Amino acid sequence: MGLLTNILLAPFLGPVWASKWTLDKVDRVVREELTDDTPVKEDLMALQMQLEMGEIDDAEYVRREAEIMQRLRDVREWRERFGMSAGGGPVRVAGSDDTE
Amino acid sequence: MTPAESATAAATSSSPITGKYVYCIIRNDRSREFGEIGIGGAARVYTVSHNDLAAVVSDTPIVIYDPTRENVLAHEFVNETVMREFTLIPMSFGTVFRSESDVVTLLRSTYQAFTDVLDKMQDKIEFGLKVLWDRDKVVASIERENDEIRRLKDEITRNAASSTYFARMQLGRLVEAAMEEASNRYVTDIHEQLKDVSVASRSNKVIGDRMILNAAFLVDRKDEKSFDEKVKAISLQYEELLTFKYTGPWPPYNFVNIKLKLEKAT
Repeated sequence: MGLLTNILLAPFLGPVWASKWTLDKVDRVVREELTDDTPVKEDLMALQMQLEMGEIDDAEYVRREAEIMQRLRDVREWRERFGMSAGGGPVRVAGSDDTE
Repeated sequence: MTPAESATAAATSSSPITGKYVYCIIRNDRSREFGEIGIGGAARVYTVSHNDLAAVVSDTPIVIYDPTRENVLAHEFVNETVMREFTLIPMSFGTVFRSESDVVTLLRSTYQAFTDVLDKMQDKIEFGLKVLWDRDKVVASIERENDEIRRLKDEITRNAASSTYFARMQLGRLVEAAMEEASNRYVTDIHEQLKDVSVASRSNKVIGDRMILNAAFLVDRKDEKSFDEKVKAISLQYEELLTFKYTGPWPPYNFVNIKLKLEKAT
């Protein structure tokens, strides 16, 4: 099975390959978006700035802060689901079990 | 920890209170109390020591703290309090260790790095400076000072009906370029004026579209007053165009970069 097989069977393999490749790529992009908390943190800083500048009042701040906290939790949840390290929470010194 | 658990607030969690929330690292060889000012509802803040290093901690359930204003302020307030007496290395927000012995392990395994940084940061404090501009006023000042822009604008106003789309585009481009040039000029001038009264500076990403500078300055305690006066003088100099947001003194958040080898506790 080599190139020739692929060419011969192309009509059958082609579309399957293509869609798998696309799915992989979409999956990667979605995964990056779901697990990146940088934009959420930037929104939080922007919100604090708005409060400091008197552009929003306290009630508005509290309301939008709650939304942002929920987004942070969502990101954390996705990170855990993908087996990535999540910011915050209990930590220990890495490798401490080996050295003791 | 399941996501559902992590979402619950610390205070309402049913987890046993065995964890240690770590605020900062200081040099101190006997135990100290800093009062009931800790995160999660006035927790007692005290030290966990290893040789001449100490971690400033409070007891906590094993939870993830959301960076709400209340929680962040509690974290900062502890560091401010400790800072009055000690040089400190701030820990990042939300660092929770499972037990006191895990904290001691941190102090022991990172002893040399902490010691080096504490030496370097001895009597240093940080100030934050955010500078925002008023777009309309800056545009007005650019129109006053830039002959080419003023001429083009006058022309467009005079011949409102016949002035071309191209002329308007041209004006827009010129103003944009002049604004960027002005922003760079202001920022460079501010940095230049503060150079002599600070040890180091760091520029962070600006927040929102009005901010042109978001910087942190590391300042020697003995220069605190001079730094302060200089910032006031600069803000007076730019009073018409720029708004200065000046905060501190802070612990050197932006100037300590110890990569701790921490992993998720299981």
